[in-house]
Order: sequence, then C-alpha cells, then structure tokens
Amino acid sequence: MQFFKGFSSGNETFIEVAHHQVSKYKQGAEGDIFLSQKNNKDGRIITALSDGLGSGIKAGVLATLTATMAIKFVASDIPIKRAAEIIMNTLPVCKERGISYATFTLVDIEPNARVKVIEYDNPPYILIRKQTFVEPIKEFTTIERKNIKTGPKKEAIIHYSHYEARPGDRLVFFSDGVTQSGMGSPHFPFGWGYNNVQSFILDIVGRKPDISARDLTREVVNQALLNDAYKAKDDITCGIIFSREPRDLLVITGPPLYPERDADLVRSFLNFEGKKIISGGTTANIVSRETGKKVHVNLKNLDPKIPPESEMEGADLVTEGIITMAAVAEILEKNTKQDLSCRNAAEKMVELFLNSDRIVFLVGTKINDAHQDPQHAC
Amino acid sequence: MKNIRVSICTGTACFVMGASEIMMLEDSIPEDLQGRMNLEIEGVSCLEKCTNHNRQKAPFVLINDNLLENATLAGVIDALRTIVEEE
Repeated sequence: MQFFKGFSSGNETFIEVAHHQVSKYKQGAEGDIFLSQKNNKDGRIITALSDGLGSGIKAGVLATLTATMAIKFVASDIPIKRAAEIIMNTLPVCKERGISYATFTLVDIEPNARVKVIEYDNPPYILIRKQTFVEPIKEFTTIERKNIKTGPKKEAIIHYSHYEARPGDRLVFFSDGVTQSGMGSPHFPFGWGYNNVQSFILDIVGRKPDISARDLTREVVNQALLNDAYKAKDDITCGIIFSREPRDLLVITGPPLYPERDADLVRSFLNFEGKKIISGGTTANIVSRETGKKVHVNLKNLDPKIPPESEMEGADLVTEGIITMAAVAEILEKNTKQDLSCRNAAEKMVELFLNSDRIVFLVGTKINDAHQDPQHAC
Repeated sequence: MKNIRVSICTGTACFVMGASEIMMLEDSIPEDLQGRMNLEIEGVSCLEKCTNHNRQKAPFVLINDNLLENATLAGVIDALRTIVEEE
C-alpha cells in the first residue's frame, strides 16, 4: 500500500493507492501483479494491474513484465498505443498453450488531477463519485500483433479513457478472479459477475462513505474469496485509487522535559483535529490530570508480550510506551501482508497508522528515571 | 465481607518486571478465598512509583492504598489472604 500526496495546488487532497490480493488456492506466488509508483520529477502517479496467463510463477513473470514495462513506458511518455504493441510483442510464449498473454489496467494520474486509464482485457474499471457510478467515454483501439502465431486469436482491443478527478472519487479495478469468483457454485453458476461486483461496492460505499481504499480492497477480495469457498479458483486482486481529504493522526509520547510545559502538550493534544494516540503511562497521566478525564486500563484479552491498552475520553487509543512502540516498529518493518487481528495495543496502533495519511509525533524528551541504573541515578 | 481494591501498574517498568502475570489475578484467586471478599481489580497506566529513588522495585501493586513493591502474583494473593483472614 502506498500513500501519495496529490494535486499540487493548495487544496488538500490525498491520493491513496491501495491493493489487496490472494493467490490461487495452493499457489505460493501471485499471478496478478499490482505496481504503483510516484514520479518524483513531475508528480505523476502511475499504477498498473496485470493478470498473467495461468497462475503461479509463470503468470507472475508475464504479469510482472507487463506491469513493469507499462509503468516505465508511461513514465517516459512513450505513446500508450506504441507501448501496448511493444508489450504484446515482447511477452514470452507459454509452452503448454503456445500463446503469450497478460492483461493490464494502467492508470496515470497527473498532478492537475487529470486521470488517464488504459485497459486491456481486465474487467472494466468502476469509477464512483458521490456514491454513484460515473462512466467516462472510452475510445477503442485495435492493436496489431506481430506474433500472430503465438498471440491469442481474438483481436487485441485497448480501451482508453480520461477524466478530471474530483475529491472523493474512487477508481476501482480488479482482475477477473473477482468477477469470476464462485463460478460453478449454486449461488453464482457463472461467477459473481461484473454487475454484482458493482452493486456490492456501491452498497459498501453507501454504508461506509469514508471507507479507505485499503479497507475497501479487502472487502472486495474477501467477498470474492468467500464466493470461492476460501479456495480461490484464480488469483484475486483489487486495486483502488481514492482521492480524498487527508486523515490526520497525532501520537503523543513521553512527558515534556520541563513539567511546566505539560499544559502546552495537553493543549496541542486537545486542539488537534483528527485521531489521537497517547503512548506512555506518564504521558497518559499528564493528559488525565490536566483534562480531568480518567484513564481506564482494559484488563480483558491480555497479551503476555504487550501491555494492555487503556481508554480515555478524547483519545482513540491509550497504550504503554516503549514496549508497544517497539512492537509497532517491528510489525511495520516486517511489512506483513496478512490482516492484523487487532488483538493487542500494538496491532491497534498499526491499524490506526495504516489508516492515516499524515501522522504527527509529539515526543517529550524527558528521560525516564525508572530506566536509569539506580546506582547512578541523578 | 471486606471491600478490597487492587490497582496494578501497567507501565513499562512494572510490565517488564512481571506485572503481566499479576494482571491475571482475577482468574487466579484460590478457591478458599473466593466469595470471601468484594474484590475490585483495576489497571493503572502508571503509578509513578518507579521513579522514586528509595530503591523501591517494580512491579508495584496498590492494595487498598497499601503499596506492594516487588510484587508477584503469589505475593498479591498472600496479601489478599492476610486481609481476608484479619477478621
């Protein structure tokens, strides 16, 4: 998952790019590839989703080649039609099927909010604006293949569309593992289907208008996985690009060096607009003392490694300091793709971090006497 | 029946010195003590006793305003038993 600041003008709009995927049942490697990069030179955000023929490593190679080339070509301003030709004529040929093939959806967002989308054989993207669908006009172009023998027999048609992004827009795209999920099941004999996916997404956005791209991709992929009875019949990938107001998070940790600054700390805490975390027992006590709100430590669902979380009116999470923070750093560094179970305070903090775009740390610099060698305590 | 309030410090120093075990007090009350006291167990984000340089040692537990230092689960249960059997 990546977060980018977009739209260079003064208005505050963030572009959140997120994806979630599961690979085909019993396949260790993904055959769908999702790549996203921000071009630091010109501020463009280029994102690609490619679905390689088959599944596993072979599909992964095809999809990686396609997605990487597509992103590089677009970043270097090579005309997309030409880029598509090169990609199609470069892909290696599958030994079993004798064809070379990988689909792609390519999204290019310029700093002035102009969005260009190029699609080849993936299910069409869904653009949601103000909780309803918007369908930009699409142009069709047929690409000629040089490798007629090894290419699929049907014509390669590229769909090109563009629109001006507005705050609140959600661009949702996915591999056919989503639309074809559940195929053969009594409930969806022909798969979940594009229209059902559309209604599902619209229903969630209607119920949770502020849902992040990250959470929405998870909902879509998990539903597709459920349709397949948790044994995915194909790689299932969903990518979402969400333009929205940035979500702010404040983390205060550690008491100020001078106790007379305690009130300043608490004032900054109270005045902050966004979610708030207090990390550290003494820090929590300072806020509690200054605001008169009591801290309640939750002694249920204890974790032997992480100190329990607490609750305080006005704070979204109150935790212990150093042990919890170290665990948070460890979870973030591991970059685990698995869903967090949110059992302990550290996992809850990571969840809040990942669901925020700007995180402000207010760090007190007082040294904790309790952590000093008692023989040399000052 | 006596009202007993146990406040367990959950701050860093106390946690690493063994408070995590004391937090399981509610599930660890021996049978002979069960039903003989009105026990209230709460966590405290920091009792701020560890910064005291009188060589007091974490973990700290407050039992009805009496501070127990270097506390253990068994130590807290013993203290509860003493209070219950004082009658």
